[in-house]
Parts: sequence; structure tokens; C-alpha cells
Amino acid sequence: MPMSRRNFVRSVVASGITLSFTRLAGAAPLDFDTRETMPGRGSWNPAIHAAGRIDGVAKVTGAKLYASDFRAGDMPGWPSKTAHALMLRAADATHVFRGLDLSALGGALAPTALVTAADVARIGVRVPAFYEGDLFCPVDTTPLYLGQPLALLVFADFDLFDQARMALRDAAFAKFGEETAPVETPGYGAFRFTRVGGPTPEAPDVVSPVKDGWVSPGKFETAPNGKRPIWARLPIPTGQDYARVAAIGEQIRADLATHDPAVLVLDREFRTQSVDPMFLEPESALAWYDAGRETLELVLGVQSPYEAADSVAFMLGAADQAVRPKRIAMHFASCGGGFGGRDHTPFPLYAALAAMFVPDRPVRLANTRFDQFQSGVKRHAFAMRTQIGVERATGKIVAFAADHALDGGGLANFSANVATVGANAALGIYYAPKADITTYAFHSRGVTAGSMRGYGTVQTMTALETLVDEICATLPLDPIAFRRRNALATGGKTLAGNAYIVSVRTPEILDKLEAHPIWRDRADARAGAPAGVLVGTGVACAAKDYGSGADCSLGSVAIDARGMISIACDSVEMGNGIGTAAANRVAAHLGRIADEVATARIDAFDPLGLVTSSDPYRISQEMQDAAQQNPRWVPAISSASTASIGAHVGTHAAAEAARIVFRYGLWPAALDLWRVPKSDPLAGAWRQALWKDGELVMPGLAPLALADLAARAHAQNGVTAAMTHGFNRWAWSSAAFRVDDEEAWSADIDALAVRRGSGDFVRLDRSAVAFPPTDYNRIGTSYASLCGALVRVEVERATGAIRIARAYSVLECGRALAPEIVIGQAQGGFAMGVGYALLESLPPYEGGPGDGTWNLGRYLVARASDLPLHALEVEVLAPVEPDERPKGMAEVVMIPVVPALLNAIFDATGCRFRSLPVTQAMLADAIRTGAPR
Amino acid sequence: MKSITVTVNGVAHGPSAVRDDLSMNDFLREYLGVTGVKFGCGVGQCLSCAIIVDNADGASETSPTCIVPAASFDGKAIRTVEGHAKGGELSALQRAFINHFAFQCGYCTAGFLNEAQVLLERLARTPIARADLERTIAEALDGHLCRCTGYVKYHEAVRDVVLADSALYLRKGSP
Repeated sequence: MPMSRRNFVRSVVASGITLSFTRLAGAAPLDFDTRETMPGRGSWNPAIHAAGRIDGVAKVTGAKLYASDFRAGDMPGWPSKTAHALMLRAADATHVFRGLDLSALGGALAPTALVTAADVARIGVRVPAFYEGDLFCPVDTTPLYLGQPLALLVFADFDLFDQARMALRDAAFAKFGEETAPVETPGYGAFRFTRVGGPTPEAPDVVSPVKDGWVSPGKFETAPNGKRPIWARLPIPTGQDYARVAAIGEQIRADLATHDPAVLVLDREFRTQSVDPMFLEPESALAWYDAGRETLELVLGVQSPYEAADSVAFMLGAADQAVRPKRIAMHFASCGGGFGGRDHTPFPLYAALAAMFVPDRPVRLANTRFDQFQSGVKRHAFAMRTQIGVERATGKIVAFAADHALDGGGLANFSANVATVGANAALGIYYAPKADITTYAFHSRGVTAGSMRGYGTVQTMTALETLVDEICATLPLDPIAFRRRNALATGGKTLAGNAYIVSVRTPEILDKLEAHPIWRDRADARAGAPAGVLVGTGVACAAKDYGSGADCSLGSVAIDARGMISIACDSVEMGNGIGTAAANRVAAHLGRIADEVATARIDAFDPLGLVTSSDPYRISQEMQDAAQQNPRWVPAISSASTASIGAHVGTHAAAEAARIVFRYGLWPAALDLWRVPKSDPLAGAWRQALWKDGELVMPGLAPLALADLAARAHAQNGVTAAMTHGFNRWAWSSAAFRVDDEEAWSADIDALAVRRGSGDFVRLDRSAVAFPPTDYNRIGTSYASLCGALVRVEVERATGAIRIARAYSVLECGRALAPEIVIGQAQGGFAMGVGYALLESLPPYEGGPGDGTWNLGRYLVARASDLPLHALEVEVLAPVEPDERPKGMAEVVMIPVVPALLNAIFDATGCRFRSLPVTQAMLADAIRTGAPR
Repeated sequence: MKSITVTVNGVAHGPSAVRDDLSMNDFLREYLGVTGVKFGCGVGQCLSCAIIVDNADGASETSPTCIVPAASFDGKAIRTVEGHAKGGELSALQRAFINHFAFQCGYCTAGFLNEAQVLLERLARTPIARADLERTIAEALDGHLCRCTGYVKYHEAVRDVVLADSALYLRKGSP
């Protein structure tokens, strides 16, 4: 039986609601799943010959792929008409909300349904903990944040909806009363990361987060001072873990302040701005509550499908019976960009609510771009103070201290995580024997900040790399030489006190940067600047973590009797090429590119029967040891497609499944076709077999076509499909399985089901399972990719207009699964870095995006004319060995571009900017006044 | 209300009664189901919504649809991303976009395809010198926003389509 998206039913009980993802019976040929299955059955698959993405044809022909493309009439079995929902949001967070004024609609445009805070309270809606805060601002309270929803209005058809939104566009639909202070809430998280190494790099640390645990201050200032944490050690009887670490941290700072003439100490502040992910498809969803079946169906485009399903189920799980579905069926579409902004977004909750209030009518909720600016999660604005001490004689860092404050906006979302990830990246590519970093994420009335490409690290590494440039200019010391002397060596300890478990290739990156003409010829370029133009060159490096510390991979691979390959994985396609990467990784084991790749399939893995419990970040070792006795238990089942994990995690389970299909399906078939008996030593030589031009090759034996192998594997009831689960907490889980009677199969997976011939999947119990220890949660990261950037800028003296004349990015990412997609992602990361450094900015509060008036044009992102299209060079280092595992690279390229630009601007103008973005007006002013910034 | 007739990819639609303030983007996506035309910003800044308008004089141009009323397209013939492939065969541009891995999420692809197609047709009518090619492509495509790719591969794809058929698009003997 060929694997199809329709053949699997997921039935987990969440909040008393069955989550299901099946297709409806009797679906039309072009049902949702078929549209979303890349490359589309029967179509030309450009990836077969590495001539394009596996979703290439669909995307150049305008196929329905994105959530915003679907209407009720596109969904087989749904009613044909679509109702449309309009969200009204607060543009004020300093006055009391007194209710709605919908008089602009008149009687003719009265909505079919109106959903407010009172309505959701009345039916017993629960707010998932992650989104804690009122879903809608209650009347007679001050909105928690700018852009907080006030109401959902549902209209029977598009025409009414369109007229209503026109009528309300300029209307004062929200009534506000007296002025108040912004709503205060506790901060989102405060942490201190302090490490002091032993007398030698190999010696145990005196203190480190891995050794001593993560610590938080226990005391906070009282309002009206913003409830900031009190970092200083207090003479208090509790919180001794913090007190000990804080004492050591304060000593590091005291040492930096001693004015030792042998040590150059720089102490600088740096501010970054709030920006929008600006993925091109605004968030959109389609929802239908079929009251007869008591089933809620949703079409969504999110990076975190499992979380979305879980959150909607929780939200409605205790609602009144009339509005509590028994079953929720989810359909996940490709995303028109993500960049983190679709990871854990509350948008699906509102789409689900809209549907529950108009039973039996499919309803569409779609953001306009104004809405998206007003409500979509943002990249955190950081305020940072960084102190660095460098021994003048050696040019080596002796101590480092930093304080970070993040504006998290209205809801907590991922603010605490962004704070800790940013802090752990604050040392970039460097080693410091002593470091002390505090970080604090706070609530504000701004639009909620959350996950976005860079995730705290682009902020802290920009502050670092510009400071390093200043150090080098002050010592003075060549910037490449400084980086060589201070780069974290392989095996060296990160801020948290652990070493990376992947290649650390800083020396090669630095060699490449130093040898590149942009760097080599920088003095000549400066000297040869045309009249009226200032020319400068900048360099910067970044080491970017990938992974979140609790990453899951679900993947299955099936081969039919004709040799057609199908892959399903739980990762989401948002442009990152996960489908193509998975197909390429599987092809290494099965000889050809898959004919069908289905992404965002959290439903396809029922045969594994997975169960979970607790929180993978907080579970104790004792609890994990006990829980793993259940062979179906895993620390987490599915995770978001985020944190640059596409290649590393997203393709992992499918690759492991493919290895099993080969070993226990195709290889025995090959032996049979070659007439090699099991007793022959050759029978165990499966690792030596190679695929070449779609045929399996062994020296001295006839090459075998995949189709023949597949047919024989089916005929002899071999393994023709496998599905696996993997879990990564800075290391993979591993287990052994008995697939046949001869040997145990050990792999970096913790669950396995196999299908023999054309039978059904059968789950195999694991033995010798090893999950990464729970104290690995103290690790900041064990995975990092490195990138260096060079940029040459030309600044027009009279106007401050800046042009990037040339640029070079060099990165390493292990084995690039889809090299052209890696290059494309790198180019896109470069462009996003340029936008962040020079163009993009959102005011945090009033006058910012929360007022609903922001859009493109006012918000500037990089256009082609802002970039050196024909002088942008990207180099990807070859893997250290042919089978080096792929490493995440979706974020790292963007990061060094930002400080490299600022360093180049300094080189050109002598102006040191310490905030982002650096606009043309700022440049013109700085050049005119000659003031170093 | 106005009654309009629009030819989309060679198929006449209408007459349809539309409100004066109904946007062409909503007309195409909500009433005709032509969702290959995307909605990006609604203010004419990203051009993910751009379509091709075929004028009576044989020349074509692109137009945003998000800020233009449907009523203004009455009597016009337009092309969208759904109309590029003929008889199941992708156009040279579509193939080049795929071969160059020009797009990632693909949401801006329809706009780029339409703009580049209009450019190709313009060059076929009025070939340019080889030396002007990159600049011409850059000027043609610069209004289109892409957040994923950095634009490089889009431009390379268009350039390669031109160079692969240089006798059609470039002036003979031009530098």
C-alpha cells in the first residue's frame, strides 16, 4: 500500500478533545493534502536531477499552497461559502477601553457574530499558558499592549466584510476613557550567566552554568522603576545559588574597573531596534466548526503545527459543551516565509474562536499587512552594556561582562528564551576565561516580541563585533589577528562551560577572510576613493547556535513495488527547502530523489504510538529514567520548525528511516537478486554498497536498478517503509531495535515502526534507549555554525548615501544537503542583515506598529537596489569529511553582515555608531559634524 | 456598482457587477478564485500582487492589483502566473526560476514572473545592448520585494533566459 497522507489517523487526546488530521472520505482528486504534497503527483519533479526545488513547479505555476490561498470551496466536504472575520485591535494602551462603537457599520453591515472578551469568558475559553494574557481586552480595562485584540466580527460573505472593513477603516471603533499608566506585569525572565575557568583551559571551571546551574536573581525593584531585577548580591538568607554566582560576577566587574594599565578595557552601550519578520504572506487561516460532527477543522500556515493543535485544543477543552468540539482536524499549509515569526503565534487561536461562534459556516481570518505589523511577533529591541578587557601585550581577552535588557512587548511569548540564547551568544566566536552576563526580558505595552531569525544573537553579537573592532583600532591590532588569538578553539568551553560537539572551523574562516581581495585590498580601495566618496571595509564573524535543546524529528520513508519513494516529515516548508533537503538526504540511502514529500505531517506517525509527559526542559533525571521504561515514551513528540534545525533535525528521522529501508528491505533484495547466500561474508557488506545513477553498485556484481530492488523487496516481504522519531537535547537520543533475527539495529532514534511488503506499519519495541541526560538543559548550545563576512561600503560625503560595493560571506554548515538552497538562504540572510543594519526600524510604543498604521513604504526592507547583486560572493566550506552531518545555517549568515557594515562605516567615516539602524540621515549628520558616535 | 468584463489568461469573465471600491486583488482572489495572484502589502509596495495587462497596441505592462479598483480593468485582458505554462509546458522563465533555485517561500514568485515576462516581451520588441542587460533587469525588477532570497538568483535566472536566446533579446553585435 503506497503511503499517502490520507492513510493515517492521529488520535491523541488533548484537553479531552481528539486531535485528528485525517482527510475526509471521498475527497476529490485535488484535495488539500494533494496540493500540499510536493512536488504534486504526476508533475515533473525538478529535484530529480538536482535541477530545482521539489516544490518548484507548484511555486512557478501559482498552485494553491499557502493557507491564504484556500477558501471553503477549495476544501472537499466543506460547505462552499466562506464567511470572513475582521479583527479589531487596540491602538491605545494608556487609556481605559470603554467598549466598541460600531455605528459606522449601520444596520446593513451588522456582523453575523461579534466576539469579545465577555463572549469568550462566557463560554469558558481557557488561555494556553504560553499566551497568558487576555485574548481580548475586557471592557473597562486598559489594553495590555498596543494591538491587543478587542473583538472579532464575522460577516456572512466577502462583500459585507469588505464593505465593513472600509467603513471601519477610518472610524473610531474603540471608545477609550480616562488615561492610565501602561499596564505593569512581572518581567518575563532574568538570568545571570557567569563562568570562570580553571587555571588551564582543560581544568574544571571555578563556576559555570553547566557546573552550577542557571541562576536568576530573587529580588526585583518595585514599581514605578519598572520592576527591574536587582543583580547585586544581597545579604539575604535565601537564594544562595544566586548569591555565590553574583559574588563571582561582581568580582569580574570589579577587576575590569581597576584601571590596570596592562589591560585595555572598553565599556560601551549598544541599542538595537524592534523589527518585523516581514514574511511576505500575512498570517491567514480558514476554520469551520461542523456542529453536526462536533468537529472543528482548521487550515493553518505555522512553523509550529503540533503546538498550534495543542493550544487550540487546550483553549476549547473546557468550553461550554455547545462550543466544545469533540474533534479538531488540522490541515497545515506551506508558509509564505516564516523567519521565526510563525512559531508559536496566537493567530490560530483567533481563527478557531471565529469558527466556534458561527457554527457550520467556514470562516476566513486573514491579516492585512497593517494587521500583521500591528499584531505579528517582532524581533526584540535590546539595550546592552558590554565591557571587555584585553591584555595589551598579548591581545588576549582576559574578562568580559555584559548586561542585556530586552523589550518583550505585550505577551511573554519566547522572551525569556531569546534572552538566554542572546546571552549565551554574547561571546560570539571568542573564548574568555572570565565572563559575567546578566539578561532581563521585560513586559511593555509594545507589540509582542518573540522568535525571529537571530533570536537574540544578532543583537548581542553585533554589540560584540563592533566592540572588537574598536578594541582592534585602539590597541592597535589587526582585526583578523585579534580573532585568531581569541577564537574559541575546538574543545574550548563556551560561556555555559561546555564544548561544542561539532566542528569549530574559525581558523579556516579567518584564513578565507584574510586572503580575500576585499580585505587584502582595503587600503588601496580607501586610498583610491573617488572625490566626495568615503570608502571603508569591515569584517565580522559569528558563531550561531542551532537547535532549541528539545528538538524532535519525525520522519517516514516508503518505497512502493515500482520504486516510487514517499517521504513524510513533521517539519514545515516555509521556503527553507526542507522538502528538497529531506529528499536529498534520503536519496543518499535509497538512490534517487523522492517522488512525494509531505511536510508538516504531525499526523502521519500514529503507528509509533508515542506518548510524552512533563516538560523536556524541566524534567528531572529521575522522572526521565522512570518514564523511559515505557517503550513508547519520548521527552517530546514534535517540535517547531525553528532555530535553524531544518537540515540537522528536520531531515534526521527520514534519513534514519531510509537507512532502515535500505538495510532491511533493499539490501536483502539485492542479495537475493545477486544470489548471494546469507552465509556469504558479502551478505554483511551492505555499508560498502554505493548508489550510482539510480543503480546499486557493488564491485564484481551486476548493478541493480532501484525498481528491481523495490519489486523484490516487496515480493520477499522485506522492509519497504519505516518511520522513526528522534529527540535532541544537545545530543541525539539513541536506542536499539530488533528488525530481524540476526542483529540489533542501533541508531540515533528512540522509536521505530516498519512495514514489510505491502502490510501495515508495526511498531518495534526499543531496547537500550539512552536519552540525553536532563542536566544537558544547562547547556547553552552544543551546536554552532560559523560565518565570516566582509563588506566594502562607499558613503557619499555630501548626502550620507551608502552603497555596498562588494561583499563576501564564508560559512561552514557541515554537509550541505541542497547546496543551491544553502547559497540562496545565505544571500537572503545577507539581505536581511543589510535591512537590519541600515533600513528597518519600528518605534516601540505610540507611533509604532501597534497603532495599526504601519506598512511597507514606511517600513523599509532591503530591495535589490540596496544590495551588491553582482558583487555578493558566498562561499561554503566543504564538509570536514564527506559524511559530516548537516549543520543549521538559516540564521548565521545574516549575523556578521550587521557588525561588518558598522565596522565598514567606521572605516569609511570615522564614525562609530552604537545603535541600529544606521540611516542615511544619521550618516549625513555624522559626516557633516565629524562627530564620532 | 459597475458591470465589468475581464479576460484572464485568455478566458473572458463577466459581465460581473462589482462595487466601485472593490480592489482587483480581491476580485481575482475572492470572486474568480485566481489565488496565484498574491496579497502582500495592500499598498502597492511589494508587487507580489502584480499581474500582466495586455494592451490593445500589443504591448504589455504589469500592474499592482491591491491598490487598483477592479472596475478599472473593465474590458482589459490580463495574464497571471496561472497562465504562463502552455499545454502543460512551463515557459522558459518558469524553467529558469526553477533551475536557478530563484525563489524560496515562493510567495513573491508570481510577481517576479510577471514582471520578467513583460521585460522579455519588451526586449523581443526592442532588443538592447548586452552591456545594458544587468542594469535593465535590475531596473525592471526593483519594485518587487522578496524577503527570502536576496534577489541574486532571480536576476541571474532572467539574465540567463535572455542570454540563452540572445538573438531575440539583444542587439546584434552589441557589446
